Amino acid sequence: MSLSSLLMSFCEWADSSFFGHGIRNSVWLFPFVEIFHLLALAVLGGTVLILNLRLLGIRFQRERVSDLARDVQPWMRGSLVVMLVSGFFLFSSESVKMYGNGAFRVKMVSLVLAILFTFTLHRKVTMSDEAQVSPLWRKLAAVLSLVLWSGVGLAGRAIGIV
Amino acid sequence: MSVIRFLHWLNDTTFSITMRDSTWAEPVVETIHVLTLTLFLGFTVLLDLRLLGLSMRRRRASEVMGELNPGLMGGFLVMIVTGVLLFCGDPVAFYNSIFFKVKMLMLLLAGLNVWLFNATVGRKMAEWDIDSVTPGSAKAAAVVSLVLWVAIVAAGRAIAYSLPPP
Repeated sequence: MSLSSLLMSFCEWADSSFFGHGIRNSVWLFPFVEIFHLLALAVLGGTVLILNLRLLGIRFQRERVSDLARDVQPWMRGSLVVMLVSGFFLFSSESVKMYGNGAFRVKMVSLVLAILFTFTLHRKVTMSDEAQVSPLWRKLAAVLSLVLWSGVGLAGRAIGIV
Repeated sequence: MSVIRFLHWLNDTTFSITMRDSTWAEPVVETIHVLTLTLFLGFTVLLDLRLLGLSMRRRRASEVMGELNPGLMGGFLVMIVTGVLLFCGDPVAFYNSIFFKVKMLMLLLAGLNVWLFNATVGRKMAEWDIDSVTPGSAKAAAVVSLVLWVAIVAAGRAIAYSLPPP
């Protein structure tokens, strides 16, 4: 089975599931789930922004990066979980349509890259002893994180437009 | 001039017509409005969490506020400007939406909440801002803020669904 047919059958399964059906056939369920998606966007985006602004040396300069990272991480992870769950439900209501949506594909690729980067290299930079990471690497990690997450957000907004 | 007459006048201005008829104006402005939630609302939530003692406890509340405020204020300004632009694109329909009226009322209440906080417990922040446990009135202000902003986002989302399609 090729990857594309595997993805397509996943989309068909979600599309015909009871929640996919339910959300599609309800007037208010889709916007209701979207509200959770938007609220979690605010918290995820806020924590990503503040952490990266610290790495860039723009905010919380007197704080250690790792201290700030420890403080915001539970909220970042929690909001990411809400994003993924609410996003999956939104997707399920029109998943076969999403399969062919270019913006959706760009969003999913950016999302996978953003998550992988956030929990590996970016995490390493924020959690390690500041003396061990050069300011250049810190700034590079911040810029890359901002680019990847912006890509997710912009492509997400584009889904409804293209 | 009555409000409704003013809105009809606004609706017929070249600016309003351009906002409405342009393919890109509305989606671009709306994208900025929605994504600025990360800056404005994200930072507001972080500040409220500090006031509730749920995040950044080891930092002074005044320091957290000072670090978050510039981004928060800048974000708020962008929200207002883009919000007004979206309103100008379809002023009569916005005005007729109950969700729009509810949202405006709650925005006013959120502003009152900030004013009340600054005028009372916020003014004496130096007395309590080292404590990880904040005063009850500061917590109350944070809860009111969170509840109102959740409702404001919900009402904002509902506006788009209640407007007649273009």
